[in-house]
Amino acid sequence: MSWIAIGALALVGIAIPLAMMAVSALLRPAVPEQSKSTTYESGEIPTGSGHVQLNIQYYMVALLFVVFDIETVMIFPWAVMYRSALEAGTPLSQALLPMLIFVGILVVGLVWAWRIGAVEWTTSLRAATQKTERQNT
Amino acid sequence: MVPVEYYLLLSSGLFCIGLFGILTRRNALYFLMSVELMLNAANINLVAFSFYWGNLTGQTFALFAIALAAAEVAVGIGIILALYRNFGDVDVMQAATMRW
Amino acid sequence: MSLLQIEPTSWLFALSSLGPTVVLVLSALAVLAIDSLSPDARSNTRLAATAAAGTLIALGITVWYLLAGTGQPATGGAISLFSGAIVVDGMGLFFTAIFTSVAALVVVASYDYLEDDANPAAFYSLLLFATTAMSLMAVANSLATVFISLEMASLPSYALVAYLKTNRGSVEAGLKYFLIGAVSAAVFAFGISLVYAATGSLLLPDIATAIGDVTDLAGILGVGILMVAGGFLFKTASVPFHFWAPEAYEGAPAPVSAFLSSASKAAGFAVAFRVFAEAFMPALDVAVDWGLLFGILAVVTMVLGNFAAATQTNVKRMLAYSSIGHAGYALIGLAAVTAGAGANNATVMGAAMAHLLVYGFMNTGAFLFIAMIERWGVGRTFEDYAGIGRKAPMASMAMAVFMFSLAGLPLFGGFFSKYFLFLGAINAGFWWLAAVGAVTSALSLYYYSRVVKALWLEEPTGNLDALDSKPTGLYAAVIVAGVITVLLLPGFGPVIETAEAAAAAVFA
Repeated sequence: MSWIAIGALALVGIAIPLAMMAVSALLRPAVPEQSKSTTYESGEIPTGSGHVQLNIQYYMVALLFVVFDIETVMIFPWAVMYRSALEAGTPLSQALLPMLIFVGILVVGLVWAWRIGAVEWTTSLRAATQKTERQNT
Repeated sequence: MVPVEYYLLLSSGLFCIGLFGILTRRNALYFLMSVELMLNAANINLVAFSFYWGNLTGQTFALFAIALAAAEVAVGIGIILALYRNFGDVDVMQAATMRW
Repeated sequence: MSLLQIEPTSWLFALSSLGPTVVLVLSALAVLAIDSLSPDARSNTRLAATAAAGTLIALGITVWYLLAGTGQPATGGAISLFSGAIVVDGMGLFFTAIFTSVAALVVVASYDYLEDDANPAAFYSLLLFATTAMSLMAVANSLATVFISLEMASLPSYALVAYLKTNRGSVEAGLKYFLIGAVSAAVFAFGISLVYAATGSLLLPDIATAIGDVTDLAGILGVGILMVAGGFLFKTASVPFHFWAPEAYEGAPAPVSAFLSSASKAAGFAVAFRVFAEAFMPALDVAVDWGLLFGILAVVTMVLGNFAAATQTNVKRMLAYSSIGHAGYALIGLAAVTAGAGANNATVMGAAMAHLLVYGFMNTGAFLFIAMIERWGVGRTFEDYAGIGRKAPMASMAMAVFMFSLAGLPLFGGFFSKYFLFLGAINAGFWWLAAVGAVTSALSLYYYSRVVKALWLEEPTGNLDALDSKPTGLYAAVIVAGVITVLLLPGFGPVIETAEAAAAAVFA
């Protein structure tokens, strides 16, 4: 029975904004003007295109984020049951050691990626010249 | 309680949407998203039937499936980046120097 | 054996039972650690030596366990670890021996291939991680571990195929391998979820018992089994999921092609044998007759692979199609185990396992010979190979051995493995599979002998001066593979006995 109330609420919730938009569309005068259709930039006049090509190195950041994100997925269930497992008498070698091995493997990988320069923000020649140009103007 | 057949319907629908995306899209990034849909269809089944059977096997496996899906995307994006550098496009049909 | 005196639930026991896997993962991490310590003074030799030592130690431990009877009926049967998710038995060890020996050959051969490479540590560690995952695939006893290890083996493989980042062929091959691999992984995962839906378990023995009680969800179970089969067909490059194989093998660096077409294929069969023999046997009557499906696919795979190989002009592509054909031969082993005739099942499956072992050596050797040709920069077609036998007699002799052995001539190891496989299929009542296999083998002799003819009988067409350089690692790997292929003819008895005993233990 409680579902009926929720359904009614949803119907009313959809109907109110629809009705408001319909009423205002009937009442308002139509004055087409170019400045109305431009992007709102807090009063500034918009310049350039909205399609900006981002630096490809942001992908590297995204990849690293994914790696750590997934690490949390694996650690989270372990963290939830860690205390109760210890209280139930599970030895540390079975409760803590596997997670240490897991994190240890990830650390080896991360250290290696760091040492070969995968996480460094390389400044290409083009980016460097653009930077100096901007400073000069 | 929602009957268990509904979960099967939902997951099959999701799986078919993903399959449709793979068959129709030529952009490699859309392809990756479609594969994610298909994997998540499997996850829905696993979690729903984990509840139905009353054991946690399905839920645990779903966690691993999520992790593997993310790892797959990481490798995939790496390959797509290399594709873009070599062919100047992320259209999967562009790369056809060898015949099928 | 000291190994069995340790308390069977302790961590040490689990680690020592999984000895080969542990050694492989440690050596992969060691490669990364060595490279992290000295990224500026990078030494290809040191990294290759670490990787080769890792694979050889793992191979040594595997052979030792096989001989000592670890996990086999002689010492108390299969060792079950982690609540039954992993089972170390003779079959797992047998397949691990294949993976580690192929990996060792490929590592040694890659040493020359990566001489000018900027970052060899990535290559070796990816290779070792893939081998680790394959050794887990061989012992996986739950659909969860099967899926995880299969993906763990696939992900480094994608990166390895696309390893030459600036080579368009390599990147294209990697992309196609990845796209089809990702789809088949999704299909595989969905299949597993459907099997779980119908049976409520992921452990293979539990699935087998639960299948009997499946009533209204039998259709779901059937679809699930078909989807799981699709995942295996991708991994083993069988019809209808074969079309990535020619592209990936042709575009990938040749050592990687060798690794994928031998070890990765064997790993796919390792899980397929275990999953279908242990879990899905009762489903034959309830849900879907997968035996007939694999029989038909075996025929189509053998015919398609061998006929397509006969029309190729590029030698590497020809080998790629021939490797599809060989997947068809191994599929006979999977189809014929459904005959239900007790001991015959183990005989057929054991013969397929032995064939995969012999195939591992001869096919790896053949692809490594291609790697040597690629390094010399001679060319890719049959015409370019003309007259190489005069300049490089040792390697060309080894290549002739691989070719005749792949065709199944009764001089080399490849003869007995095919013979036992076809004989087993006939005894199990699948004479039509054996007939197609024999006919396609005869056809394969045509295109394999073209390579030998070009190498030895034809006059050189181009300039062969590049052949004066002798890449040591590649030479050593090719010669070792050739010697083992020859030695497997007299030494086939112990191999087939081990394989059949391991297969019998799975059915017991």
